[in-house]
Amino acid sequence: MNTDIDLPPESSPVAPRAAGRAVRLFSLSRVWTIATSTVTQLVRMKTFYFLLAFALIVVAVGNLNIPATPVQELSMIKKVSFGAMDLFGWLFAIVATALLIPRDLEDRTLYTILSKPVRRIEYLLGKLCGVLLVVGTSLLAMFVLCSIMIYSRESIFAYAEMDSMARSGSYTEHEVLEQLALIHQQGLRPELAIAVLASFFKASVVAAVTMFLSTFASSSLFTIIVSILLFLIGHAHTMASNFWLDESGNSIFIQMLVKVIKILIPNYQLFSFSEGIVQGQAVIGSLVWQMGGLTAGYLAVFLLLSLLVFVDKEF
Amino acid sequence: MSELAVEVKNLTKVFHIGLGKDYVVAIDNLSFEVKAGEVYGLIGPNGSGKSTTMKVVLGLMAASKGYAKVFGLDSGDIRARNEIGFLPENPYFYKHLSGAETLRFYGKLCGMKGAELKARIAELLKLVDLEGAADRRLGGYSKGMLQRIGLAQSLIQNPRLVILDEPTAGVDPLGSRQIRDLILKLRDGGYTVFLCSHLLEQVQEVCDRVGIIFRGRMRREGTLNELIAVDDQTTMTLEGASPELLDEIRKLVHSKEGSRIVAEGHPRTSLEQLFIQITDHHQEDAP
Repeated sequence: MNTDIDLPPESSPVAPRAAGRAVRLFSLSRVWTIATSTVTQLVRMKTFYFLLAFALIVVAVGNLNIPATPVQELSMIKKVSFGAMDLFGWLFAIVATALLIPRDLEDRTLYTILSKPVRRIEYLLGKLCGVLLVVGTSLLAMFVLCSIMIYSRESIFAYAEMDSMARSGSYTEHEVLEQLALIHQQGLRPELAIAVLASFFKASVVAAVTMFLSTFASSSLFTIIVSILLFLIGHAHTMASNFWLDESGNSIFIQMLVKVIKILIPNYQLFSFSEGIVQGQAVIGSLVWQMGGLTAGYLAVFLLLSLLVFVDKEF
Repeated sequence: MSELAVEVKNLTKVFHIGLGKDYVVAIDNLSFEVKAGEVYGLIGPNGSGKSTTMKVVLGLMAASKGYAKVFGLDSGDIRARNEIGFLPENPYFYKHLSGAETLRFYGKLCGMKGAELKARIAELLKLVDLEGAADRRLGGYSKGMLQRIGLAQSLIQNPRLVILDEPTAGVDPLGSRQIRDLILKLRDGGYTVFLCSHLLEQVQEVCDRVGIIFRGRMRREGTLNELIAVDDQTTMTLEGASPELLDEIRKLVHSKEGSRIVAEGHPRTSLEQLFIQITDHHQEDAP
């Protein structure tokens, strides 16, 4: 006879648990927790290895033996280093952002996070802040590396130039100082930090756009490809406007399409003011503030768009 | 009347397929209640709507019709989620975090910090027997260990309701037994447990009440006794009975009109119990 039906032990007379603590409707502490966890995730994914590639580029460029004047050589080192820094910045922003949300969804980590008292806006904001923290830190590390290289080359060039001019004996002190000033003009200057800030602004907008795409994209690969495409289109804003909007022969449809694209896709060309700074142009303070404001505006708009898609998303 | 931990009323969930008019009804006018302090099991085959029901209760999905409430709060309300601990089927956490870091992360999301969080992490690691693996990354955890750390994270903020989706899926019998014991401990600790499973034996072992769902509809619901007891049959287990005594009992039963012996045999242990006996025995023998 079957006698092994295991009924659960009788319920012990334990009182049900009391209600939990009060929950804040919005908490910066939860945003910070998600942001720091995102930083840990990206660090432990060994994403900082790309800094090694950057270091190799900077060292290689710094040690190239090209037939040029010290001023030309310093200018080239800066252009290549800051160009690479900008490229690494926005590319890293795209890849890191595109990997995070789809991966959380695929791994179902999102289930356990959103089943805790976490608002979806807190999750998105936390992820974006985490990526921006890593991008910012990476740009800072690259800037330090560049600065060391530029400063060391600048010192070597200045010493060599001074030595050679003194030995020839045919230059006045004024001419020597003038030549040194030219070298220092292309050397390490505090304004270069503004160029890094411009790259950070651009990478931040790129990250926000990528996050918006990743809220509805089916895969990380799709998000990365479309983000890069949008980045390239975003660089052609002025060119497209000049070509399609100012040409009277174009149809209304094309003109409308260009206008819509102009509204939807950020104008990344605006962030290219760093190139001028790298080439030794003066920094206009108000422009930096304007760009900061524009970046904040883009971040707010794309965060809002991401939330609109994400808030009703079912998992 | 005891407080309701979960109240699902006329819940319907419809999934639209693509952009056309095609749709699938995953849950069809489902109603049930889970009382505070009880262990409730929702059972049904794969695709019957268990996980969808659970996701609506967790606020991960919105109901097409009807509603789900947790301790009187709408399931989409963030305050309701503070009362819930959730262990998903095959829990995947951040593999780059260690066991202790995982609990710290989820604890902070619930607003815990400092000494309180530290003490809670230590307490839970002890409860799920993972103190020795606290600093190991989850990437190196076995399936059973992942399930136990998952259970610990579900309890981190000391919720009133614990929702477990297939808690022993893919876990070996020993791990399964440990999780079963943990569920019983939770009940003894005053937690309400809402469990979804298609492993009937497991549900039978731990649940006070059970609902059977099929094709999105509740087919039967009640206490285990109500559902599985056969009222006109009686089980009697004898020890040391001689063949003569058994013969007498048989004769007596036959002599009474309307009564008969339906089945007779030796009680058997289950394969799971045998497995646990053997592994326990060898663990004791090990140097």
